[in-house]
Amino acid sequence: MIQSLATVALILIAAAGILQVVFLLRKSERGDPVSHFVLLAAAVLLFVTLVDRSIRISFPAVTNTYESLLFFSAVISLVLFVLRLVMKAAVMPFILFGGTIIALALLMISSSPVAPSQIQPPIPALQSLWLVLHVTLAFIGEAFFTVSFVAAIYYLAVKDETRKAAADRLVYTSIGIGYPIFTAGALIFGAIWAEAAWGSWWSWDPKETWALITWLAYTAYLHTRLVRRLRGRVSVILAGVGFVFTVFTYFGVNFLLSGLHSYG
Amino acid sequence: MNALFRFLKSVRLAVVLILVLTVLSLLATLVPQGAEDSFYRGEYPLVIYRLITLLDFNRFFSSLLFLVPVALFAVNLGVCAADRFLRQARSKSRRQYGPDLVHVGLLVLIAGALVTGFARQEKDFTMAEGDEVRLTKDYSIRLVSFRTVLYENGSPRSWTSTVDVFHDGKPQTASFPIRVNHPLRLKGVSVYQTSWARESTLVLRDRQGAEVTAHDGQGFQDGQSFWYFAQVVQESDGPKALFQEYQGHQIVSMRKLAPAQSIGPYTLLRMESREVTGLRAANDPGYLPVIAALVIVAAGLALTFIQKRRGEAG
Repeated sequence: MIQSLATVALILIAAAGILQVVFLLRKSERGDPVSHFVLLAAAVLLFVTLVDRSIRISFPAVTNTYESLLFFSAVISLVLFVLRLVMKAAVMPFILFGGTIIALALLMISSSPVAPSQIQPPIPALQSLWLVLHVTLAFIGEAFFTVSFVAAIYYLAVKDETRKAAADRLVYTSIGIGYPIFTAGALIFGAIWAEAAWGSWWSWDPKETWALITWLAYTAYLHTRLVRRLRGRVSVILAGVGFVFTVFTYFGVNFLLSGLHSYG
Repeated sequence: MNALFRFLKSVRLAVVLILVLTVLSLLATLVPQGAEDSFYRGEYPLVIYRLITLLDFNRFFSSLLFLVPVALFAVNLGVCAADRFLRQARSKSRRQYGPDLVHVGLLVLIAGALVTGFARQEKDFTMAEGDEVRLTKDYSIRLVSFRTVLYENGSPRSWTSTVDVFHDGKPQTASFPIRVNHPLRLKGVSVYQTSWARESTLVLRDRQGAEVTAHDGQGFQDGQSFWYFAQVVQESDGPKALFQEYQGHQIVSMRKLAPAQSIGPYTLLRMESREVTGLRAANDPGYLPVIAALVIVAAGLALTFIQKRRGEAG
């Protein structure tokens, strides 16, 4: 019963996306009035699914690819909901739609054979609260990077300077929030966990290295904001590249490169 | 001199160095690190192999190609942090120390990482119940028990090595459970649970009638062949020692040997098998500076964010 909540969440997110498209095609400035509530409902269902799995394995359920996909999608949906409430910019309908598509794509991957949904208790290396902080904070940071990516695409696609400025500001704000959270999760708590589990806080494992590459890309982005000539197009492209690295760190490394993180 | 100072503190230099480190690190993840030279020679075309070994891409993260940009980045960070600090001390406007904390934290992190890189020591070892191992001049541990607990589906739930700790030969801590994610921390050394194994020993008699022992992974030369003792396997008619026959790098045959049977110049007398825990002793003087650095970086990022929000609100 609880397991099917993830499927209901997928349907809700798809419905939210359809609603957003309808309003976008009608060229509504404010966007639709309900899809963000639909996203909130989907996020709640996904969190309930994860809580249920956590109770079953007596450990926070963020220890395999399926669970991480659900968590990532839920956090993106939640961030989109909050953004829609607090930001009134005209770019929001597009950002909401782009973010919804990414949340939907993650859930579709979670229902594919790539991410088996069997409930599996964590192996000894994963039984650490540092790991829970590492994974959850990294994904929360990446949810903000997702928003920045969509805003970056929007920036590159539109010609209107006012809209460009709004998109640029959203790229910067979401990276400004996501970067410290990602730093704490992916790098700081990751290093502490690795030391406790393997006795080495950094091993140049491919996933570690790619997390560092992602962090460097966003660090470069933040610095390009300080150079007048690099602000705008160059920095926005760098924000987009950062998200491509984020996705590769999450999926690409698991499937193309082997290392300590081969379980998720 | 001023031009050099301006160059070293410039944000542009920081951006270029960060991008250089990003691209080089990215390329390095495409090349397996730390393998034997023969691996790269066999795996890549000659030109690429020469490029990899010439540029040390096979051990990239300890190569000059990586360390020189990191050193330049550290100089850039240091000069930039000092310049910002001095400018802010003179300025009467609102001071923003968040980025400075991040920069100082990163400098400490680089220093800590260098200490780890050059001074970290680690040694993997196995212990059976009752075994005692000296860790340092002062500390030794004795394995009291080793327990593996499995989930219902057969996957491992926990490995626990319970040890007694001795300091200068005197008991210090009794029955400390070392588990994955729960290391034993002593002054100057930490001990981590890493693996477990079944260690087998063969007792053999040679042609002169002398008894010799062989452990997993050992072997002997017999004419053109090298016989390698792989493991003890359980057969329906009892345990047998599995030997693999190598000629060059190729396995050409395998033999399962029961007691009283012979292989080459040896006759198997008996087999002994015991469960051992795999532990790692490590000493990393760079770890605490790194943790301190990470705390400084986190505090700096938080401060930057808070000050930025305050600035926007004001």
